[in-house]
Amino acid sequence: MTDWTRRAFLHRVAAGLGLASSGWFLAACGAERVAPPTPSPHPTEAASTSSGSPAASTSTPPPVPATPESGGTRTPTATSTTLRHPDLVVARHGDPAQLVRRAMAALGGMERFVHRGDDVIVKPNICVSYHTYEYAATTNPWVVGEVVRLAFEAGARRVRVMDYPFGGGPEEAYAKSGIQEQVEAAGGEMEVMTSLKFIETDIPDGVDLKDCRIYDEVLKADVLINIPIAKTHGLARLTLGMKNLMGTIFHRRWMHRNLGQRLADLNSRVQPTLTVIDAVRMLMWNGPTGGSLDDVKQADTLIVSPDIVAVDSYAATLFELKPEDLAYVRAGAEMGLGRSDLDSLRIEEITVGG
Amino acid sequence: MAGEARSGNEKRASEREPRAYRPARWVSLRRLVQTAAFSAFLVLFIWSRRGGWPATLVNVPMRLDPLAMLAGLLASRAFVAGSAIALIVVLLTLLLGRAWCGWLCPLGTLLDWLPLRRWRDRRTDVSDVWRGAKHGLLLTILVAAILGNLTLLVFDPLTVLFRTLSTAVWPAVDQIVTAAERALYGVPFLQPAVGAFDRVIRPVILPIDPVFYRYTALYADIFIGVVGLNLIAPRFWCRYLCPLGAFLGLLSKVALVQREVNEQCTQCDACARTCPTGTIQSRKAYASDSSECTLCLECQDACPVAAIRFPARISAPQWTAYDPGRRHLATSLGAAIAGIGLFKSNLLTSREHPRLIRPPGARENDLLEKCIRCGECNRACPTSAIQPAVSEAGLEGLWTPVLIPRAGYCDYSCNACGQVCPVEAIPPLGLEEKRRRVVGHATIDENRCIAWADHADCIVCEEMCPLPDKAIVLEEVEVRTGEGERVTVHHPHVRLPHVLRDRCIGCGICEYKCPVNGEAAIRVYVPSEG
Repeated sequence: MTDWTRRAFLHRVAAGLGLASSGWFLAACGAERVAPPTPSPHPTEAASTSSGSPAASTSTPPPVPATPESGGTRTPTATSTTLRHPDLVVARHGDPAQLVRRAMAALGGMERFVHRGDDVIVKPNICVSYHTYEYAATTNPWVVGEVVRLAFEAGARRVRVMDYPFGGGPEEAYAKSGIQEQVEAAGGEMEVMTSLKFIETDIPDGVDLKDCRIYDEVLKADVLINIPIAKTHGLARLTLGMKNLMGTIFHRRWMHRNLGQRLADLNSRVQPTLTVIDAVRMLMWNGPTGGSLDDVKQADTLIVSPDIVAVDSYAATLFELKPEDLAYVRAGAEMGLGRSDLDSLRIEEITVGG
Repeated sequence: MAGEARSGNEKRASEREPRAYRPARWVSLRRLVQTAAFSAFLVLFIWSRRGGWPATLVNVPMRLDPLAMLAGLLASRAFVAGSAIALIVVLLTLLLGRAWCGWLCPLGTLLDWLPLRRWRDRRTDVSDVWRGAKHGLLLTILVAAILGNLTLLVFDPLTVLFRTLSTAVWPAVDQIVTAAERALYGVPFLQPAVGAFDRVIRPVILPIDPVFYRYTALYADIFIGVVGLNLIAPRFWCRYLCPLGAFLGLLSKVALVQREVNEQCTQCDACARTCPTGTIQSRKAYASDSSECTLCLECQDACPVAAIRFPARISAPQWTAYDPGRRHLATSLGAAIAGIGLFKSNLLTSREHPRLIRPPGARENDLLEKCIRCGECNRACPTSAIQPAVSEAGLEGLWTPVLIPRAGYCDYSCNACGQVCPVEAIPPLGLEEKRRRVVGHATIDENRCIAWADHADCIVCEEMCPLPDKAIVLEEVEVRTGEGERVTVHHPHVRLPHVLRDRCIGCGICEYKCPVNGEAAIRVYVPSEG
């Protein structure tokens, strides 16, 4: 052992403290809250055109796709094209992968949303590690796998799939749900959401929720694809697209007061490029955790749309509810995050068959 | 090897020792083995977490511990097949004496690494009589075990080290690493590197979410105390206190390999000064006590004339003044009986602590007669729900496992604690069986519950309940004033949670996730009888 004189010891302690404090200083410089995305001119404009006359939308020049430099997820409305795609596609009867493929084709193809070189994050619902996919507590693995495959076919550079389970560990949940297997078969990767990356983030448009610790990778990705499974839920009544975004934040228990508004607030900051509702199996009772096959209804249905409020509104009807019955749909429509008026939407219903 | 032999160190050693026999090489080998054994202990500790390595592998160190296994056998009167590997250590000791202590014991290695020599007062001389203290502890453990009590196994060296690692060192390391990571993650250009580092260490080495233990400083202090005793004498713990050392020491009386000093001895005192256990006595011609010698071979290396040998031969046991005698036995018997009497007269044995929630299956399993306090279960528990009991089980049940729902919940898809328990104090239940095991019952505190007391919707407990038929149901009621008037301003209806006792298994996820600050508004209590 080297002999440490008092002087040498003090020198080293001073050097260590200096290093540590400079680390803190640098951290303090960088730890400034993640800046909200600069308000893009497109969303409001595009929102008005999509709800306006078809003529108006065709006269609008195609918006420039968001460049990765702009930071943050490409908002759905920014990707609308001059082609008149349906607002929402419902696909029925078919195996899960086929439902995805056909529904996306009807919506204008994955290329509409995922561009060459994009960094894509897929957010299924893997809320617990308790059961396999048949129990409909977690998203259908083949739906997730096919979305990953389509994203790669559209030119994605990287596709990561993640959720933040509230019951059981993420690795166990990824494996148990069967999602890991299908994602890896499709070339995607599972990411464990580590507490480190939940960064305090401002929600400038939030009505009730003004800031929140949000997973920064989700905010940084070029494309966020939200794949909830249609389930019942004690407070929200149903857990669908907007509710599924709860998995991107850290302190979820604080959401439960005024949940509807807070979910809409969160959605104003975390805007999926595309939402795919997996209603291949629906959990009709004892959600969101499930555990009994008696509570599961096989519906072989898939709903896709870039408009998260619209998909949730449509999915509510599968449970014989009206969109207005869901507080978060009401709040989301009010905040202009999407449309809940099903009659005004261009909905394409396809039967895959087979 | 040939290259090594030509190195300077080796040359010097061979000059001193012209024959092929090189004591220095043996000492290096011992240090290598010590490092390897300590590393293995640490690695097995780390990978004990659910999702790590197989349970039958990670609990090998505990099953190698002959004292814990013997005491467990005596107390429970049940033989656990896996504990038979402790015989390896017994055999090793019969061959090589306390080589376990000098070569393998991870706590002993740590005490060698932290000798605190610089700060030691060399004038302090502890009387050899105190070596008997560990024999007293050992006898008390064994007598108490026969009487069905295992409390004193908290002094077993492996359990001391393991518990310190899981309840103090690891939580603290996690906090420190997390703070450093968060600080560096704030620097934009470091983000990818920090992210990559985080992915390597979590969830394998450190947890994804921070873990919290109660009384972390207590465990740290106890450990600091054990190390701090080195200030009085090197390996103070091993010399005077360690009950496992005492046990192996008694076996070493008849060990095959024992230290011997031959007539070449010049009485230079070098060996006595270097002996870490201080058992080489100048008064007895530099002979040593085989039950105190850890076969570290330092004396052989220090000897300038090669007067020290460790030959293998059968010899009659040599008894010393501090070896256990009738007086020790009588004292231990008295201590054990008195202690057990005191334990049994504790109120907690007649009226159980309401929060003594045991791991699944342990309640029906005579936990106190089986648990060796090793702490494997609290390391394995992925949510850190299992923690050492401090007050819940009284002094008798000190550091037996208890579920603390506010710290973590019993994961519905986990049965790791029962798998890893080396003595089946927590029975190794299959997952389906474990899911049906009732560890407690949740009770709603209507004065704190957001729905009951504030008339606001919350339902987190219902949402979290993992049972297929949820044990928490919601009743939608109208909110009325005291006069029976309907309140229609904010929340005309509120959904009140109710616990269905027949369904609840007491996993505690409702208590863990309850958004009420501090004490939860839904809490798990031990199941009431019948």
